[in-house]
Amino acid sequence: MDLSFLPDFPLRLGNLVVIALILLAGLACGELFRRVLLLPRISGYALAGLLLGPGTFGLLDRDMLGDAHLMLDIALGLILFELGSRLDWQWFRRNRWLFASSVAEIALSFGFIFAVFALFGLPWLQAAIAAAIGTATGAPVLLLVIHDQRADGPLTDRAVNLTALNNVFSVVAVTMLLALLHLEYRPRVTELLMHPVYLLVGSALLGYLASVALVLLARWLGKREDLQFILLVAMVLLTVGVAKALQLSMLVSLLALGVMSRNRDSQRHLMPVEFGPTAQALFVVLFVISGAAVTLADLTAGAWVGLAYVVARLLGKLVGVMLFARPSGLRAHKAALLTLTLMPMSATAVVMVETTARFYPEFGGQLASVVLSAVLILELTAPLMVQLALRGAGETHPEAQWR
Amino acid sequence: MTTLPFKESERYTLGVELELQVLNSRDYNLTGAAADLLAVLERAPHPGDIKPEITEGMIEISTSIQNGYAGLLTELTGIRDAMVKQAERLNLGIAGGGAHPFQKWHDQRIFDAQRYKHIHDLYGYLAKQFTVFGQHIHIGCDSGDTAVRLLHLFSRYIPHFIALSASSPFFQGADTAFASSRLNNVSAFPLAGHMPLMEDWAEFTDYFEHMRELQVVESMKDFYWDIRPKPEFGTIEVRVCDTPLTIERAAALATYARALARFLLEESPLEPSADVYRVYGYNRFLACRFGLDAEIIDPYERRKRLLAEDIGYTLGRVARFAEDEEGATALLRFREVAAARRSDSVLLRERLAQSKSLSDVVRWAADQWMRG
Repeated sequence: MDLSFLPDFPLRLGNLVVIALILLAGLACGELFRRVLLLPRISGYALAGLLLGPGTFGLLDRDMLGDAHLMLDIALGLILFELGSRLDWQWFRRNRWLFASSVAEIALSFGFIFAVFALFGLPWLQAAIAAAIGTATGAPVLLLVIHDQRADGPLTDRAVNLTALNNVFSVVAVTMLLALLHLEYRPRVTELLMHPVYLLVGSALLGYLASVALVLLARWLGKREDLQFILLVAMVLLTVGVAKALQLSMLVSLLALGVMSRNRDSQRHLMPVEFGPTAQALFVVLFVISGAAVTLADLTAGAWVGLAYVVARLLGKLVGVMLFARPSGLRAHKAALLTLTLMPMSATAVVMVETTARFYPEFGGQLASVVLSAVLILELTAPLMVQLALRGAGETHPEAQWR
Repeated sequence: MTTLPFKESERYTLGVELELQVLNSRDYNLTGAAADLLAVLERAPHPGDIKPEITEGMIEISTSIQNGYAGLLTELTGIRDAMVKQAERLNLGIAGGGAHPFQKWHDQRIFDAQRYKHIHDLYGYLAKQFTVFGQHIHIGCDSGDTAVRLLHLFSRYIPHFIALSASSPFFQGADTAFASSRLNNVSAFPLAGHMPLMEDWAEFTDYFEHMRELQVVESMKDFYWDIRPKPEFGTIEVRVCDTPLTIERAAALATYARALARFLLEESPLEPSADVYRVYGYNRFLACRFGLDAEIIDPYERRKRLLAEDIGYTLGRVARFAEDEEGATALLRFREVAAARRSDSVLLRERLAQSKSLSDVVRWAADQWMRG
């Protein structure tokens, strides 16, 4: 009997099944967190990733995760675009103390993390890379909680603006440090300068060109939310794709796209980004995948140093924000809340760790474990911190649900 | 009788309160930043007084007692400048206008103060719907009797103040077809409207005591009348104006009110009349709906008159009561506004026609307020 119509065993599950699995696991874990632990869903998504990931039960292997990367790129792209479009240069110009507190927050969190690693006797260059990764606030967590709670107000705006700047710093610093690392192994001085310049200028230029196209097309489409969302997804994908092809920074390109389309759009043709149900599905994938990047092995290897990393980072950001709180027009208790909103680490940090490990496997090992442990600790706890902070500041929507 | 003493104040002294919009500078929606703005303003020297209002996207400024246009404008400029400086530090916009064009009432948060919580508990959604922005003009009276008389004489002219200040054509994201939509929100309150016709302060005190015994009100604050006596200040308070788009317009409205008060008390061209209140509600609606183009009913002449012409005519008669040169000029400019029928509402609609974006309309309005 010819049974060739039956599939071969073992079954090869395509990426559709993988994505479905990711979504279902995310949904289930998110709801369990909300209902049983009374914690924000986002933390549940990350845990789902950890459980499904190659390091734990291994239902998702690295290849499968690679298949779902497209969705992660769209999700991260939308988030970074929004972060950019909320960045307000004018504010930093009008309130120099705000800029000072941004610089202080970045410098001190970098310094404190670096000091912790130095204390543990790690090579300084690697310590610096880990510290540079740690300066960035995880924009996906921050923005998702803001959307989820429909938060709006001065603290929310500050959190977003400081996050945009510390993300830019983080990318630039990591790039330069990588170039330095490069120098250590394959000495060539020009690369030290050329690479960051290529990355920054090239990414900004790409963001600029995309923003011109985006605003023109939005104007042509008119104020139709549904159509503009399609356009936005297309432009975000285009930017990500071209950035990858040209080996530019996806993060800087998308931030630039956000910042410049906001500034070019004086007639307000672009409608504000509303993350509808479709986008929510993308974000579940984003968080599950970044959770899957961490393994239990990382945790056992790096948990304690990871915890020290988290504490150093918290202290650095706290002191930095507090230092210029008053002159920048922020009351002390609000400054403390602001620090909490800066705590998340997420997909961007994971991407940076992976990039670094790809170029320089030497970096992997323990240091990657430490950073990823910190990411995991914060993926589980930071959503709650952000939510508490926004609530504490009274900036959540009156009808927004607690969880 | 002594339960409601009327503080005697100098006749025709002036004071102005303005409720203002606190905006984010992203899409120019209202933002709940009043508490933060008040906190930084506490440490910054400024004239006048700055207070919270019922929801967190509102803030109220008030002047001290003033005598004329020039002094009033100087003080308003001082308050405005101090506030704008701090608002810019916090990345906020400040704007006039009787209503925010596209805020959603249920997005608003009640300001954290006992009185406002109480209002929210009592009135439910009306409290949040009350996120509208008015100008209140205080006119000094030397006795309660003067206040009652002036208030009733003034009622004939309420449509003037509605139409000249009208700046709330848009509400909840839509064009209302009204010049001033704001007063519709005030009208929803059970004690809105006008004060009943009374002879003198003694009669008013009896009325107030009676209402208190019946437990309809606890204090004068519970009356949401268009004009109400303010015995603790020794003034009558005209409350029908939308907050205009500029401080100059706000000062000019106050100057007009003051000149009109002098004219009405010193020349006694009219006597209080029940007829005024027979047409009152309808005239008020017409002025809100059609602004300067309204055809109102003159209760004394018993005929229809074009509001813009009525205003022009009255401005002509009261002009000589302006206290100073600048005030006279401001009244003259009002005549031009009335003749050209170009209220703030008209300007806002023009702006929307140009830019097709309510967000841009608010940004423009904030520019008018902040940079004059």
